[in-house]
Amino acid sequence: MARIKKTRLIQMAPHFCGFIPQGLQCKGGTEVIINFEEYEALNLCDYELLTQAEAAKMMKISRPTFTRIYESVRRKIAKAFIEGSCIRFEGGNFDIAQWYKCEHCKISFTLVENAPRVCPLCKNSLITENK
Amino acid sequence: MKIVIAANENHVKSDVAAHFGRCDWFCIFDTETKKAEFIANPVRNNIEKAGLEAANFLINKGLSIAVAGRFGAKVVEIFRANNVQMIVPESQVTINEIIKKM
Repeated sequence: MARIKKTRLIQMAPHFCGFIPQGLQCKGGTEVIINFEEYEALNLCDYELLTQAEAAKMMKISRPTFTRIYESVRRKIAKAFIEGSCIRFEGGNFDIAQWYKCEHCKISFTLVENAPRVCPLCKNSLITENK
Repeated sequence: MKIVIAANENHVKSDVAAHFGRCDWFCIFDTETKKAEFIANPVRNNIEKAGLEAANFLINKGLSIAVAGRFGAKVVEIFRANNVQMIVPESQVTINEIIKKM
């Protein structure tokens, strides 16, 4: 069996769904899909100007993995720009920072201040924080 | 304590809606009286800021937990500021399953 992929930590998902090229009719099936960890990699590296090592640390992945994700998003963006395809943000294998997870109920949730650290459904304290 | 669940249809066997701001119905469940009330989402057809206005509308009704498939960035911000707990089920569940566990 193949090794399970580690989840990548992102600070926040983008608040819009993607881009469409101006002056073209977008055909179905030609769009480029960028997943959320790739978006986060680009954000950390080229917008917030962190080094790849720092950015990898923030996303809780190794530096080579980060480079791979970053490389992949750059190629996808180049492909979309040159071919005039739409870009859509979708999917990926990620956790959002400051959210908690309960393995038993299969939910993600946030906690409010001064509240006990338990799952809101099963009231179990076996929860994991994405940080 | 009031729980708001974003719903696709106005009955308890309905699935939880995939997105908070643009769902068709909100199910308001009171944990003390154990009664569920459905209200239509007043801002579902807004072009902009549907989530934000829905969040403000529900905060005025005094909610403390919100359940939906996804929350937008602005909604997360306003819910965090108002001490509202957010829950995202990882698989498709019905409102009944959530209410039963509360």
